[in-house]
Amino acid sequence: MINLLQALPDVPLRIVGIHGGHGIRRRLIAMGFHKGDTIELDSMGIFRGPVLVRNLTSDTSVALGRGIAQRIIVEIIDEKK
Amino acid sequence: MTKKNRFPDVVFIGQPNCGKSTLFNAIAGLKADTSNFPGTSVKHTHSKVNIEGSIVNIIDLPGTYSLNPSDPAEKVALSHLFHEKPDLIVNVVDASILGRSLELTLELMELDYPMIIALNMIDLAKKKGVEIDVKKMEELLGVPVIPTIATRGQGIKEMLEAALQTLGKRPSVTPIKWSRDVEQRVEELANLLPEDIPPVYNKRFTAIHMIEANRLFFDKVLREINPKLKEDLDRVRHELEEMHNAPAYEVISAERHHLALKIFEESSRVFRGKRVKFQDRLDDVIMHPFFGYVILLAVFFGFFLIIFKIGNPLEELLLEPLTSLRNFLMLKLGANVFSYLIDGLLAGIGGGVAIVLPYFVPLILLMSFLEDVGYLARAGFLMDTFMHKIGLHGKSVSPFILGFGCNVPAIVSTRILESRRDRIITSLLIPFIPCSARTTIILALVAFYLGPIWAFGFYTFNILLIAILGRVISLFFRTPSPGLILEIPSLKMPSLKNMLKKTIFQMKSFIKFAWPILIAGSIVLGFLQYLHFDRFINLVLSPLVEKGLGLPQELGVTLVFGFLRKELSLIMMLQALGVNYKDLMTSGFHRIHQLFRSLCVHSGPPLERDGEKNSLTLCRIEYGRGGDLEFDCPLDFRKVTRGFTLFLPKPPWLRRIPQGEIGRHGLPRTSLCP
Repeated sequence: MINLLQALPDVPLRIVGIHGGHGIRRRLIAMGFHKGDTIELDSMGIFRGPVLVRNLTSDTSVALGRGIAQRIIVEIIDEKK
Repeated sequence: MTKKNRFPDVVFIGQPNCGKSTLFNAIAGLKADTSNFPGTSVKHTHSKVNIEGSIVNIIDLPGTYSLNPSDPAEKVALSHLFHEKPDLIVNVVDASILGRSLELTLELMELDYPMIIALNMIDLAKKKGVEIDVKKMEELLGVPVIPTIATRGQGIKEMLEAALQTLGKRPSVTPIKWSRDVEQRVEELANLLPEDIPPVYNKRFTAIHMIEANRLFFDKVLREINPKLKEDLDRVRHELEEMHNAPAYEVISAERHHLALKIFEESSRVFRGKRVKFQDRLDDVIMHPFFGYVILLAVFFGFFLIIFKIGNPLEELLLEPLTSLRNFLMLKLGANVFSYLIDGLLAGIGGGVAIVLPYFVPLILLMSFLEDVGYLARAGFLMDTFMHKIGLHGKSVSPFILGFGCNVPAIVSTRILESRRDRIITSLLIPFIPCSARTTIILALVAFYLGPIWAFGFYTFNILLIAILGRVISLFFRTPSPGLILEIPSLKMPSLKNMLKKTIFQMKSFIKFAWPILIAGSIVLGFLQYLHFDRFINLVLSPLVEKGLGLPQELGVTLVFGFLRKELSLIMMLQALGVNYKDLMTSGFHRIHQLFRSLCVHSGPPLERDGEKNSLTLCRIEYGRGGDLEFDCPLDFRKVTRGFTLFLPKPPWLRRIPQGEIGRHGLPRTSLCP
């Protein structure tokens, strides 16, 4: 398990959990980041800018600041399985 | 229950950027501001419409992701839903992201209230390769579903008919039940609700929201009023948490999520289209770490260039006949009260036509293009890094960019920001953004005489100034910004009709509100001039105007009016100085300086209201002092608020015009250099 910032772009990931306070968790959940969803890191901003995350389950794109992205714990989906 | 108004209330509710406002506009005409940026309507908009003989009061609420609000705009939506019970809910759903949008639908169904669904943007869904079986969806949800394409006005008639039908019958919606273990706990709590606690909508809904409620606040209150119920609630939450190994509110939202996905899967088929690939590739370039910024710069530079290219020749064209007419009339009528009044009237009318419209219209049109395409959210993504440098994040980019239109709605729109800290800092900075009125000045005066590069430079300098101020203001807030969470909507082909509608809407408000004031103010000024009363006011104000601001004494009256209405300043300056429009240029920077000031006051009241109670709202930042005629203003920017002082060096690129050169611009020295 890694956090979202440690993931490579364009690799399908599964959300395992979200660390952090209620405020951020609620916000992320409301915007469609649920445990078990498949997401992908689309691109990263320069100079520690935000990351662009595509949620493949709900087909939405959300820009997340790095501080928030590193609270999203993901696992790499093994496509062979 | 008695209703305040006798027309049935129909509310439009949906997630941000699902097209509620566009749909609302298509029905109600030009009322709500729409764009392809999440969170455009931050206040609700009412409109009475006549649907086949029955009058209905329709209400456009700000977008909300769920019924658990996390920013003030969402709270607006909820407080309306809870306090003024509507007669019908129209849930606007973005068909292109149906899976997520249905979560709010399921939550709304828990209200157990008459409801219909407008399945909007089905064209976009089709492009994305999503085909939705509307009948099946209706069957699964038990709610009428009407496919619509709001931008093209499709399906609106059918939707209104369905609304009327539902209003007549008022069938209740049956909420879809969740998995048994969760449902049992909810039911248990609902049954335990004592009679003296009035349920919101119904007992089940109340129980669900008690479980989901923000603990810090709600639990404390509940412990005070009903300790027994608090114990029951804790037990239910605890059981849910034990069973699912997650906080109770996550258990509930996971139930909705799974249900929404299930309904989505059962009612639609997904094919991956080629066009999506193209869009993805386009997005890769737009948000590329290098090319993204090149495009961003090019977009903004092009933006000014286009406005300049359109505005400049148009302005010349419109201004010529007006100036000659005024000169002609002055000669013909002589210096009497009549000629002064007519001159004032002409200056007012002409100011609106020849100065504001050539720049204002293209500016608004281009702005709405950027909004509708969905570029603003992408600009927010790109700018986030830099916004962090001034203590904010990318989501503040949208209020900032709105500020280029007008500062006042921009300050209101800071409600989309989740944290109070971000709201305060953003709304303190917005008054320094050159709004369309000030942009007009920059374009009309600076670009007209010095060229677009100078105007661009001035803008850049202005933005730099905002950055420095942001940095300073954020020093007062120790808590760090929570960080960016911003939805990036898919790129959309903007509809020209929508853009024109928006431009006309903005123009209408200019013609209706600003222009009459402008004309009236101009006439009053003409009259004052005739009475020589302006000299008296100017004399009284001269310690402030001359010594305090370093402006010519003649501008005293203008300044007073400028406080009332910023657009007025430019026109009034023409009159006050008694100079030809061209001559104004040499002291153009003065004007901008002065507008900076008048706007600061102009934006004062909403700032205090929306930025919440904060002593910082009293802050006024003053530019420049010193009595020199040229270019002294924004650069010796010294006095700042709260006792700390900033000294900024004068940037070398801004040249002070030597005294000798002033004459070349035909500036009547006597009137400007007292």
